[in-house]
Amino acid sequence: MGKAIDIIKRDGQRPTEPFQREKLHASIRAACLSVRTPDGEAETIADTVCDAVIVWLETKPEVTSSDLRRKATETLHQHHPDAAYLYKHHRLVM
Amino acid sequence: MISSLAIIAFAALIHTSFQLSVSMLTLLSGHAIGSKTAHTKLIRLTGGFSLGVAVMTLLLLTFTAFLLQHSFGNNVPLIAWAVCCGLLFGLGIAVWIFYYRREKGTSLWLPRTMARYLSDRTKATKQSAEAFGLGLTSVIGELLFIFAPIVVSALVLIQLQPFMQLIGIALYTAISLLSLLIVGGLVGSGHKLSHIQKWRENNKRFLQFAAGSGLLVLGFYVYVEQVMTATAMAHGGL
Repeated sequence: MGKAIDIIKRDGQRPTEPFQREKLHASIRAACLSVRTPDGEAETIADTVCDAVIVWLETKPEVTSSDLRRKATETLHQHHPDAAYLYKHHRLVM
Repeated sequence: MISSLAIIAFAALIHTSFQLSVSMLTLLSGHAIGSKTAHTKLIRLTGGFSLGVAVMTLLLLTFTAFLLQHSFGNNVPLIAWAVCCGLLFGLGIAVWIFYYRREKGTSLWLPRTMARYLSDRTKATKQSAEAFGLGLTSVIGELLFIFAPIVVSALVLIQLQPFMQLIGIALYTAISLLSLLIVGGLVGSGHKLSHIQKWRENNKRFLQFAAGSGLLVLGFYVYVEQVMTATAMAHGGL
């Protein structure tokens, strides 16, 4: 990745933090595993989604965590709709 | 006696239709499966959580029955039944209006800070003992809505013989756990959480309507059986 991108956290209530590929990768992988996807496939999907998100981030001066989540969900939906559903809704379960 | 047990069973069915514990169990299972927890440990976590819910439900019901028996003895005054009916009617309408938020997913009426706290606690739960504590907490979190079914069941219980009281308590606890046991069974048997959550989201309005209507129907039944009948008998009408 060419430049460091800062992610503005939810509603600006928490401090801004730099984008971390590993963090996004872990959350996508966990969403895939939650819907019983085999480990290797979850890893591959998480890599693909992270790569797509990083390409998208290169074009943005600043990004909120909601934007990041929306983009990740869109990309994940193309590869695994069930995992994308859980990833998108996990804050809306209760 | 049959009608007493029927009231308890119906109140427990209403209790089981409330969704906070199910939401927490879904989240707990999701985090456990997502972090590659072994299947036996997943079963222990969901089992610990369900046990916590069962214990707290049991404690709440018996404590409420104890308080009511201490206050009224075995003869519940008419005013207590009337207040209980008012509670059931009020909560029935509150469930219709407030229970689910008007947004996607299955967000409940809980204040967002509390929902976030419970969600974070659920995510941090790794041991069966923690899951047990989480189960206890989830019942307390839902207290506002389960209070009415518990009070009406307790009022019915204190009028029964001691042996039937035990049966009534066991019946209430078992039925109130049904939804958790179903979700726990589905997760344990390998069903996808996304399918369970989609079903919950697609049917949330029906569940909300059923729970609210159940409270109103129960309130009406108790009013007719306990308040109107007693009033009519007191005036020599029956």
